[in-house]
Amino acid sequence: MSTPALRQRRSGLLSRWPGRNNEGYLAALLLLVVAVMSAAAPAFFSLHTFFSVIRGATVPWIFAMGVLLVLVSGGIDVSFPAIAVFSAYSAVALTTARGVDAGLLGNFALAMAIGCLLGLVNGILIARFRLPTLIVTLGTAGFFRGAMITFVGATYIAQLPRSLAEQSTRSVISVNTEAGTTFLHVLVVPVLILTVLIALGLKHTMFGRAAYAIGGDPEAARRVGIPVQRTQVVLYVLVGALAAFGGMVFMIQGQAADPQMLIGIELDTIAAVVLGGASIFGGRGSVLGTVLGVLLVQVINNSLVLVGVPTAWQRATVGLLLLLGVGAQAWAGRRPRRAAPAAVKAPAVKAAA
Amino acid sequence: MDISPAPRPVLELRDIVKTYGGVHALDTVSFTLLPGEVHCLAGENGSGKSTLIKIISGVETPDSGVIVVGGERHASMTPASAIAAGVQVIYQDFSLFPNLSVAENIAMPRQRAVGGRFYSARAARPIAQGIVDELGLALDLDADVAALSVADKQLTAICRALVSDAQIIIMDEPTTALTGAEVTALFALVRRLQSRGVSLIFVSHKLDEVLRVSQRLTVLRNGTWVATGAAGDYDRDAIAGLMTGKDIDTSRVVSAVPADAAIALEVKGLGRPGAFADVDLVVRCGEIVGLTGLLGSGRGEIAEAIFGVRPATTGTIAVGGHPVRIQSIPDAVAAGIGYVPEDRLTQGLFLDDSIADNVVAASVTAFAGRARLLDRARMLAFIQSVASRLRIKAPNLSLAVRSLSGGNAQRVVLAKWLMTNPKVLLLNGPTVGVDVGSKSEILEILRTQASAGMGVVVISDDIPELYSACHRVLIVQGGRIVCELAGDAVRVETIEQRIAA
Amino acid sequence: MTRTRLAKPAALLAVGSIALTAGCGSTAGTTSTSASAAAKPVDAKSMTMVTVVKLTGVGWFDRMNQGIKAFGQRTGVDARMDGADTASPEKQIAIIQNLIAQKPTAITVVPNSPAATESVLKSAREQGIVVVTHEAPGMTNVDADLEAFDNADYGAAIMDAMASCMGKSGKYVQFVGALTAETHLAWVKGAYEKGKSAYPGMTRISDPIESKEDENTAYARAKELLTRDPEIKGFQGSAATDVAGIARAVQETGRAADTCVIGTSIPSIAGKYLTDKSIDQIFFWDPAAAGEAQLALALKIAKGEKITEGTDLGVDGYHKLKKSPTMANVWLGDAQVSVDASTASKYPF
Repeated sequence: MSTPALRQRRSGLLSRWPGRNNEGYLAALLLLVVAVMSAAAPAFFSLHTFFSVIRGATVPWIFAMGVLLVLVSGGIDVSFPAIAVFSAYSAVALTTARGVDAGLLGNFALAMAIGCLLGLVNGILIARFRLPTLIVTLGTAGFFRGAMITFVGATYIAQLPRSLAEQSTRSVISVNTEAGTTFLHVLVVPVLILTVLIALGLKHTMFGRAAYAIGGDPEAARRVGIPVQRTQVVLYVLVGALAAFGGMVFMIQGQAADPQMLIGIELDTIAAVVLGGASIFGGRGSVLGTVLGVLLVQVINNSLVLVGVPTAWQRATVGLLLLLGVGAQAWAGRRPRRAAPAAVKAPAVKAAA
Repeated sequence: MDISPAPRPVLELRDIVKTYGGVHALDTVSFTLLPGEVHCLAGENGSGKSTLIKIISGVETPDSGVIVVGGERHASMTPASAIAAGVQVIYQDFSLFPNLSVAENIAMPRQRAVGGRFYSARAARPIAQGIVDELGLALDLDADVAALSVADKQLTAICRALVSDAQIIIMDEPTTALTGAEVTALFALVRRLQSRGVSLIFVSHKLDEVLRVSQRLTVLRNGTWVATGAAGDYDRDAIAGLMTGKDIDTSRVVSAVPADAAIALEVKGLGRPGAFADVDLVVRCGEIVGLTGLLGSGRGEIAEAIFGVRPATTGTIAVGGHPVRIQSIPDAVAAGIGYVPEDRLTQGLFLDDSIADNVVAASVTAFAGRARLLDRARMLAFIQSVASRLRIKAPNLSLAVRSLSGGNAQRVVLAKWLMTNPKVLLLNGPTVGVDVGSKSEILEILRTQASAGMGVVVISDDIPELYSACHRVLIVQGGRIVCELAGDAVRVETIEQRIAA
Repeated sequence: MTRTRLAKPAALLAVGSIALTAGCGSTAGTTSTSASAAAKPVDAKSMTMVTVVKLTGVGWFDRMNQGIKAFGQRTGVDARMDGADTASPEKQIAIIQNLIAQKPTAITVVPNSPAATESVLKSAREQGIVVVTHEAPGMTNVDADLEAFDNADYGAAIMDAMASCMGKSGKYVQFVGALTAETHLAWVKGAYEKGKSAYPGMTRISDPIESKEDENTAYARAKELLTRDPEIKGFQGSAATDVAGIARAVQETGRAADTCVIGTSIPSIAGKYLTDKSIDQIFFWDPAAAGEAQLALALKIAKGEKITEGTDLGVDGYHKLKKSPTMANVWLGDAQVSVDASTASKYPF
């Protein structure tokens, strides 16, 4: 790349601050929180904390990717925790009941296949019958959980299949510190790969752009020939698979399959994604923003004990910080849009001959 | 343009019949479009224009008839086959993606249509840039479409159509939301498109405008074909007569307002830095006052300040003789000011809600009965009466407003504000996008409201409309009222001269 | 406290014993000798008793069924267990409804929703059937309710175990499933009070930490606590998954040997951590004993015997019943069980 091109690129980057979805503000907020926490509790600023934040963020991170896909396309999904539990628990329950271990890939494949199927149910109800996404997923969430308890079981499985259990403590990097060994969990790797794939998919495939287009205006999408129904169905199938993946990771982290896990995580996840700049009304949102949103929530969640916030205040504090973050997002997002109509604009036709 | 007797049409519709529930929307209608021509499709609301467009673009399937595009016969089209055949519709709402950039809006549908699985913003940009340069436009390719002005949105939609290899472009009421300058620019562009060999169908109500660029004209009425001919053979009144089947009166009708009539609205020294300054304005009860000027002159901002959308920083406002402080829309509503905004599609209506809900949106609290519950029966009766008074044509009032035509939608906005019984009604472009028949009806409604004692302010670009209905016309330039025309001085030519001065 | 999540053993434990402060209407018949019961045949061999549990097919109630069978063999009463496949109050009420028609001598119930079950139990009693509940103190339409232990005593017992593990000194932390779970709060309060009075060398470093009944949350909180204060020597868990999450955190920091992890759980959840010694000891009550004791209590009432302070039900942990100080027809056992790695296998649930 030649020097002038570089210069132009740099100024381009600067002019794009804070990013299409105000990712820049979010990153600044994240740094601020880290700085404040570190000042309040020096123990916070450590590799160990970093690794535990990443570890704690892994599952919300995966779910947030799914939520992002749905939000971008103009929907809301509250059924992903139910899909996650159903898929992951069923995969493990079915194989352990038969005394077989499907292996790491086998278990994940089975769970994700189930997740795809459940996602397909959502997708068909939403796309074919044009039902509101919130209502559909509220309904299927209850149905999936109930169906699992009735048909698959409700027992706590304390011993995961060996192939899964041995992943629980596998690390990518492990460092010895005075507080003991700290390590970065191996499951971070597939999550990062997935994240990159989703980012590329949203940005550089027709499918991804179609999702944004549908989120922007479904009728307009139909008119330019985007297969709206098919795109939506595929989207919810993908989200189902992501949810199943998240469920498996959750189980591996917890070293047990608990049919009652992941209750109430949906709203927290949606909040994190919205905090990340995605619009609840569809059409806007980025992978980078979502990751920042998830990390911000996780940093806050994981540091309140550390800085000594009383337990009774932790939930309130998290809620308050979320409100602040989302409020700041909304405020930052509104300003340029407000400024636009105020400026008197000439029509864009240059030479009206 | 020289139209030889037998150029092969690029599009031909033969004996198209379309019925909805037994009602003929189109009854054996035929239509031909010649290469490189601009063809105006005129007709009142419900005349079948929209249905005809939907059939061409493949959104609707005709019951019988033949469609010939590019020499190929079809019993019906699908959206995809229409696009493949080079048919592009520029809808009134433009069907753009507000959340995406101009460049992507222009280039993405084409990249999709040519069968790409991948999208490259880097490849999209030159495509978009190419068409924008070719047409000599100054669109900001990186801007979100949501942030564009209406005119720029339209240009974006046109670019998108051209990028997608459009041979036939159908524009649904393209001049509706444009100011005079923008219309001129659009027409210049249309001529450039023509020179590229593109054929255009204009669906429009603003006949005098459209006749400026059209070569031919087809008029529909009540689902039947009425006339087709060279545009030069018709004048405004003749077309209006064909469309409505009756004579339309565009003459000046203003009631006498006594000089000592009570003052409905008095504005003194109103100003907001950067927008307007020293605005004095008096509207008497029974009076219709026109406010006009070029786009950017500040006329819309003045109205918005009076209505509290973006409040003024200096000056005073009095309604019915009482000074009021207007810092927000609720302040204005409480003071008895009603406002029909400019872009009725986005500002004045909840498009997906029912007609009834929209009509009552601004006055719903007036129907609170005991225990703060809504007195539904009384409310519905009132809505019915207002709807019939304003002649809102809809099978039933629970339909979504989105399903209404421009004229009817505008009447819903009007009804909404009449429900609140305002002392002063401000209307920004009240007949924009409205057909001639509805337009004269809307003006008639305004006259009736005024003579019932309301003060009415019409902000408009439509000079014949100002001439037809206003007692006085104020001309805004650079944020100041520079000229007031009253009585016999209100003449189309005078207004035009003063605006341009 | 969510009573809908009872499929989960953690939740079972959470409601297993209740806060004694819960309000309660005055109930007639503290003596438990109702006229109808007195009219019943006194021969145990001709009696039928049914225990209706929250749901069947889970380890906890499978275990309870063993106690019920043992009771039948011991006394000759035709005793059996019944329950729906899910923890649904409606299904449970339907089962009780059907049972009333069969006129058993007694019905004992572990209700999913005490409030929703009141009316069906009322009609059972009107039919002369003896009604005993478990894990549902404060109900009106019952002859008696049996609880495994007094919450404060239970908490104190856990504290004794913590003290002996920690050598009566050092810092400790308590976890609860939710700050709204009264039972958990009663346990940690009982433990804390005992600690203050009996073990001055031990200090609690924070208010109870909330795990949201989630093992991963317990894990994350424990890790943070260990980062903040590496000298923590003791953890007390309340929800069944608390100790499991804490144990993982302790394990990962390599401090399993120096840290005491003790609390309420059940062997099926805590088992593998007991084996690797990252959990030192867990507390619970044996559903088999609870099942047997409920029926023994029902039998006494059916025979017209008077239940008083100190009544012996003939079941371990229920040899000397204690009257609840706050609620009229609630009787408390002394039935907490604690196991470590070597004894956990005795309780296969």
